[in-house]
Amino acid sequence: MRIAHYLNQFFGGIGAEEHAGKDLEIRDGAVGPGKLLESALGDNARVALTFVCGDNYAVEHQDELTAAVLAKLRTAEIDLFIGGPCFDAGRYGMAAGALCRAVQNELSIPVVTAMSEENPGVDLHREALYIIDSGTSIAKLRDVIAKMAALSKKLLANLPIGLPHEESYLQRGWLRDQLVEQTAASRLVDMLLAKMAGQPFQSEMPATSFAPVPIPAGVKDLSKAKVMLITDGGLVPKGNPDRIEGTAATRWGSYSIAENDDLRGEEYEVSHGGYDTRFVQEDPDRLVPVDAMREMERSGVIGKLHDEFLSTCGRSNPLSNTRRLGREMAAKVKQAGVDAVILTST
Amino acid sequence: MQLTLANHPITDLQFGAPARLDGTVLVVDADSLSRVVLQDPAFVGVHFEIARPGEPCRAGPIFDVIEPRAKAPAGGADFPGILGPATTAGVGTTDVLKGAAVSVLAEISPDLTRSATGRVLEMSGAPADASDYANLHHLLVIPQTKPGLSRQAVEKAYRLAGLRVAVALARLAATEAPESVMRFEPVGPAETGREGLPRVAYVGQIFSRQRKPEVDEPILYGANTDGMLPVVLHPDEWLDGAVVPSLHSWFGGTETYFYQNHPIILDLYRRHHARKINFVGTIATIAGADNFDRERHCQVAACLVQWNLRAEGAVLSKYGGGLPHADLAETARLLENMGIRTAVMVSDVSRDRRVESALLFNVPEVDAIVYNGGNGMRWELPRLDRVIAATPQFRNLLSGPMTIDAPNVIGVTNQQGASRMTALVY
Repeated sequence: MRIAHYLNQFFGGIGAEEHAGKDLEIRDGAVGPGKLLESALGDNARVALTFVCGDNYAVEHQDELTAAVLAKLRTAEIDLFIGGPCFDAGRYGMAAGALCRAVQNELSIPVVTAMSEENPGVDLHREALYIIDSGTSIAKLRDVIAKMAALSKKLLANLPIGLPHEESYLQRGWLRDQLVEQTAASRLVDMLLAKMAGQPFQSEMPATSFAPVPIPAGVKDLSKAKVMLITDGGLVPKGNPDRIEGTAATRWGSYSIAENDDLRGEEYEVSHGGYDTRFVQEDPDRLVPVDAMREMERSGVIGKLHDEFLSTCGRSNPLSNTRRLGREMAAKVKQAGVDAVILTST
Repeated sequence: MQLTLANHPITDLQFGAPARLDGTVLVVDADSLSRVVLQDPAFVGVHFEIARPGEPCRAGPIFDVIEPRAKAPAGGADFPGILGPATTAGVGTTDVLKGAAVSVLAEISPDLTRSATGRVLEMSGAPADASDYANLHHLLVIPQTKPGLSRQAVEKAYRLAGLRVAVALARLAATEAPESVMRFEPVGPAETGREGLPRVAYVGQIFSRQRKPEVDEPILYGANTDGMLPVVLHPDEWLDGAVVPSLHSWFGGTETYFYQNHPIILDLYRRHHARKINFVGTIATIAGADNFDRERHCQVAACLVQWNLRAEGAVLSKYGGGLPHADLAETARLLENMGIRTAVMVSDVSRDRRVESALLFNVPEVDAIVYNGGNGMRWELPRLDRVIAATPQFRNLLSGPMTIDAPNVIGVTNQQGASRMTALVY
């Protein structure tokens, strides 16, 4: 088995922080932790290549570093790529994580790295990689390498990978459905009784928490403000020109309401499968209130209604998707010079 | 209130005449059952098929699964408020054909964007292992409705047809001695003799008003939930026909069968009988269409649990899709703030399998969460010779080979507690 190993300047034996600017160096054979890796992986495991790079150089030249490593690996007939362990060294973790991802994507070989939970490389790469929980103590190097080797062997043999606590990797944030003997009803009552008795219980879903979104400053003078309507209720012109999906939409559209005082049902349709759309179909103003906004425009409550509204479908839409939709819409809003947005949801 | 279930085990279904219960074999007379269905002018035709456990057979889309049950004489109406007057369910004796099911096929798909196949009954292979329905002997009702009816009228006709056939079959047991009789011990806030045992309630959503129900849509005692506030139900009312699913089940996972065999209620009864808990009763509630509705429903439900049932803990389940999670979590939050501990059951309706998108609420007190399924499991279904559907299009669509998502195999991601699916976070 041929292994390629990535180390920073410290573990590569070049030196400490003063050598963090050192560029990529490719060595034949194992260096430092690579020797432990060979022995943990067993008799036929050989570190064929060791890439050593200074931490500053790596994060400042990530694309060049990645390209150079990939170029070397393409002809090296490598079975396994190992990054680190990086412990709590942030730049090391970010670089090793990025390299592991690139190797995994481009060469389709198993990759394993190791970091402490707080390493910024974890948040960047946890979804894509198996990151062994190294803790922060370099004294545990041998132990961490043993865990990396054990997981590598499983990946190489294509064996099913257990849960984070079984394999010592950091939770990646994915869900996997599994069938169990006990019905959900019985698990539910078990969990309640444990909770009532003050005993420990394991929730099947982790609580989600989101950073609070700060409330922006209010509009100074609404009577001079340009206001835009945005909805995730799926209102689209007849024929759905942007083909906005009725569930987990990946697209949004921008539709003219210039010189339009009242949206008419026969000119619109609703691409949304998660609520009763009949009333919106009858009168689209009940979702995108152009009629009410025009009144406010006439009576001077608002300065102007922007002459386009934005629309997408919010149904069952994962955050990985909606973040992008939101960013794209926000860019459009900014570009249109809008002062305030009314978001209508369903 | 005390319900007696007179169980008649069924080990096979056969077509024949006259219809009768011959030991554990249910002989079904298709002609007389046709008349039961065709009394409704919404139908121009109907036929029947039998699907047995383990048989390489597929049927769909399934509109509903119903356990054949009929009230013994003087026990009140079957499915009160729907098939008869709104007498109290859960009183007297009900004959049950245990191991049998009436499953109604639909000529329409419930939701084109998510489930073009509809919910499919798969009687063999890996999906069958994941659904309790595959262990039953099904009489499949294959309806043909009059052209030109509204979707809602068609669905209402399916509902009535399924319930009527189920009752007609179970009436065959009226003259037979049951193999076993099940009675439930008294339940209620004022029951004595259980001092010191944890007082546990169930709060179950029976509808999500993200769709306005039809005027004549039967859900609770035949009523459509318009104007409804949460209500205290005796557990036996759920088991005995007071509640049926709404007509248009978008997300699925709720069938009449698992109201009649409600997994949460039966589990609470099991522990009540074992004297592990004091099961103090249930609340039927609905998920609101807006925050005005939501706050009202959640507050009233929580107050009923606190003041009427005087519970110390509650298990909560939801109905429908994503939005009802908001009502579920808010009710649980109110209960937790009253000092009543809760555990809730959720589904994952997102599609990217990321933990961050799966849970539709963010309430620190609501920390005991059971998962009943999502979009993460699928099966490769083989081509089968026996595929039963109400239209040639569906027979073609379902003939296989095909990939099917777990929620589209009926019974797998059941929201009433029958699901054996859980989520692992990795």
